Amino acid sequence: MLFSKSFRQGVRAAVPVWIAFIPSSFALGMAAKGYGLRLEEIVLMSALVYAGPAQYAVVEPLAMGKPALQIIIATVLMNLRFLPMSASMAPYFRRVKWTRLLWASHFISASSFVLPYVRFQQEEQESGPGGNTSEKGDEHLSFFLGIGMTAFSVWVAGTAVGYWAALSMPPGFEEAFKFILPGYFACIIAVELRERTATAICILSFLAAVPAALWNADWGWMLTAIAVATFGWRFNEWRRRV
Amino acid sequence: MAPARLTIIVGMGLVSYALRAAPQLLLTGWSFPAAWDRYLRYLAYALVASIVSTTLLLSGTRLEVAAAPRRMFSLAIAVAVAMLTRNAAVGMFTGTVVALLLSWFAAV
Repeated sequence: MLFSKSFRQGVRAAVPVWIAFIPSSFALGMAAKGYGLRLEEIVLMSALVYAGPAQYAVVEPLAMGKPALQIIIATVLMNLRFLPMSASMAPYFRRVKWTRLLWASHFISASSFVLPYVRFQQEEQESGPGGNTSEKGDEHLSFFLGIGMTAFSVWVAGTAVGYWAALSMPPGFEEAFKFILPGYFACIIAVELRERTATAICILSFLAAVPAALWNADWGWMLTAIAVATFGWRFNEWRRRV
Repeated sequence: MAPARLTIIVGMGLVSYALRAAPQLLLTGWSFPAAWDRYLRYLAYALVASIVSTTLLLSGTRLEVAAAPRRMFSLAIAVAVAMLTRNAAVGMFTGTVVALLLSWFAAV
């Protein structure tokens, strides 16, 4: 089942995801070294958490010994987006053994979600009203695992390679370690953003976070980000209704 | 590995896994409201944008006054390049080179 035709199709479809994962995992590894985390810590984090933005959010707080509760809450908030992703995929994995679902769940990420989801939706549309794609649960799961497992491997290996590359950097490159990860995430947001509300939320959060963190180093930035996102969302929902 | 860090990393892994696995087991056939989906997306954007500015401009509880202008300049260059090329990696690389060069000039 693991190396079935669907799994191999998934592996082939995953190549763009690997390419996207290489610079971000590499940057994470380099930044982790810059902040003073150990190789095994960042590699374990990549293997267990497997979520770029959440890992990025906690590299500095973890290295600086910030409260565990703050780090866990930041992780939960950053990863809440997995709920709708996982819920959207669930109907396509019907009749799959729950043990396999438990195993596969770990490989859900933003990048490995989009490809299979779009493909399953296309299949559903092509099969028409009489078709039943829910019969293909195991096939779908194999395709998803082809993407998810290989992308996960690239992510973990990329983190380790990035850390190793940082070890061989000569002195004087500390500024690069400090810049590389926030710079990368700012660029991802800039490339991804399409709508005005999201853009305004990003700019406001960016501007408000520093004064908020100076007011309360542990919680200020997080509470401000939640407030800005909530306000922007409420405003957007109100605009959609009128 | 420091036990406190190990505990936190394992805790992060557990909550991340719970958020991934729970819908597979509990929400089969349930569609997530589009408005909630939008909220979670906005929340992720807001958190990432906040972390970008605090990571770049603060060191602990202290504003890095000397480094802040050159890092903001480097960030602006990185974002501009990323938007022009539609490629985040190219933007990051350019911004990192600019940040590095400016830090070396500042040290001279």
